Amino acid sequence: MLKINNVGKSYGPFKVLKDIDLEVADGEFLAIMGPSGSGKSTLINILGLLDQDYTGEYLLNDKSYKDTSDNLLSRIRGDQLGFVFQNFKLLTTYNVYENIEVPLVYSKTEQHNKHERVEDVIEKVGLSGKEKHRPSELSGGQQQRVAIARAIVNRPKLIIADEPTGALDSKTSTEIMDIFTKLNQDGTTIIMVTHDEEVAKYAMRTVYIRDGKLYHDAKDVFKND
Amino acid sequence: MIDKILIAFKSIGKNKNRNFLTMLGIIIGIACVIAILAVGDGFTKTMTKGMGTHNDKGRVTISFQASSYDDTTSGFTQNDVSTLEKVSGVDHVKLDSSNTEANAKIQYKTKHESTSLNKSPKHLNLYKGVGTSIDNSDMSNIFISHDLASRIFKDESALNKPLIIEGNVFIIRGIYNISDFNYRPDIYVSKDVFKQLFANQITQDIARIYVKPDVNKKSVGKRAVDQMKKFGEDKQMGHYEVSNPDQISKTFTKMLNYVTYFVALVAGISLLIAGIGVMNVMYITVSERRKEIGIRRAFGATSSDIRSQFLIESVVLCVIGGLIGILCGYGLVAIINAFLPFKAIVTGYSLAISLSVSTAVGLIFGFIPSNKAAKSPLVGLLKEE
Ligand SMILES: Nc1ncnc2c1ncn2[C@@H]1O[C@H](COP(=O)(O)OP(=O)(O)O)[C@@H](O)[C@H]1O
Ligand SMILES: [Mg+2]
Repeated sequence: MLKINNVGKSYGPFKVLKDIDLEVADGEFLAIMGPSGSGKSTLINILGLLDQDYTGEYLLNDKSYKDTSDNLLSRIRGDQLGFVFQNFKLLTTYNVYENIEVPLVYSKTEQHNKHERVEDVIEKVGLSGKEKHRPSELSGGQQQRVAIARAIVNRPKLIIADEPTGALDSKTSTEIMDIFTKLNQDGTTIIMVTHDEEVAKYAMRTVYIRDGKLYHDAKDVFKND
Repeated sequence: MIDKILIAFKSIGKNKNRNFLTMLGIIIGIACVIAILAVGDGFTKTMTKGMGTHNDKGRVTISFQASSYDDTTSGFTQNDVSTLEKVSGVDHVKLDSSNTEANAKIQYKTKHESTSLNKSPKHLNLYKGVGTSIDNSDMSNIFISHDLASRIFKDESALNKPLIIEGNVFIIRGIYNISDFNYRPDIYVSKDVFKQLFANQITQDIARIYVKPDVNKKSVGKRAVDQMKKFGEDKQMGHYEVSNPDQISKTFTKMLNYVTYFVALVAGISLLIAGIGVMNVMYITVSERRKEIGIRRAFGATSSDIRSQFLIESVVLCVIGGLIGILCGYGLVAIINAFLPFKAIVTGYSLAISLSVSTAVGLIFGFIPSNKAAKSPLVGLLKEE
């Protein structure tokens, strides 16, 4: 699915990411763990083609998008990627249906298919009947379901989730992780950032970031101390 | 496109009060635009309609305009009449005068002055003195204006005093007021006196050309003017032109122009202020919705999608204001019509102009904020909460 070699990123003299190598196979479910401020969001923003300002090489499906125009990047994000952000990032003035519809506004999906698609994913995440509700009328778990529905409405091959259970209690987290597991079983590749061990267990594989360095094995994380 | 307009409506609806205040300037501006165009169109329509039905059928008028205001003698001569009557299509020509007033030197004791003078109207309300008109029975009687009386006679009563006009002695029998609305000369004399002493002053500056049946008036008028430019006896003193018999008096046209300029100024200023308001409100909207922009960009919106979203919003805002402005414009036109001597009319053309102007305001003043929204770096946008 994707491969990065020697990827680095700095804010001025401050190196957020240092020489990162990582490969994610099609259909994989990868967890990225690390303390806050370690560079997890920075890394997945690069993976999600949201941030082009990095050094090193990043291949998504064997293609580099380093010199791709902003317009084309937008299209690729819309067609191939699905984001679940920290703190849901829903549009508070839009209802559930309208929030989930956002990616379809910019896709080439036929108008008559759009409604079907939205209803389909609403059912998938278990929010049937809540279409007209505003995010503020929903619980945290339900808001995260809206965010997931929005991420999958365009049927992306890769879902990038940044602390999807960060704001949820453990019971709700389990429900959300069940949805992710189901999506993964249906063939979607998932990269998920978390700092919760329990949540990371749902992934097939976990990598660790600390101070901008990536470790493939938990044993190595504190080796250099 | 339609779904994008719906999004714009929705976003505008979220902030009704703020957006209504922004629209106010556009409403006023567009209402003024409608009013200006309605007055202009109504004026033109009245003029053109008048031309068709005017009793000027079968004749065309050409006038002579002296290049110097002091020149009271040049105009059409009998020779000019012969020249004009030779123009093809012309049946016969009559001369007339646009100005029936004369100028006269007057004297009382040691005071000299030059004033305007005319023959007495049939009925005049006097401020002092008796009678309503000067008939030919006593040729030495005159009426003078209150202004002239106070200039010449100061505190003395002018009534029954003698006044010397061009060497002849007259007796002041009445004094009248001149109001701002009703122009009058300073002295009225009897008809016969005017004819004998002053008629020669009245220049024949209008030639009414009666055309033969089935001849195009317009081309005859043009040929006549061309002939006069070549052979007119006073061609050095001024110029000839075909005059529009339906011309509403010059002062009225002038007044109308001033009103139009004033209203245009109001329209321009309110549209400018409105535009700045739109720009401001769009800036606020853009900065309030950085999170929304980030979300849309992450889910496939290109920067031009974002630009067009905010541009459409700005245009929709202005067009709604424009539509309300058009309604207010109808109201304004109704009020104006209560004061105008002709009927101002709102045409489809002026509706189109109004909508184009509102769209343009939205595009022009929404452009910079929309561009700012489109160009914001994505990672920063997504950090917003
Ligand atoms: N725009 C920025 N300018 C400077 N430093 C930044 C900026 N964004 C993030 N950082 C820093 O980069 C580090 C990693 O941030 P982030 O990737 O968000 O961490 P995480 O998601 O792991 O909590 C943090 O120390 C943060 O302060
Ligand atoms: Mg983070």
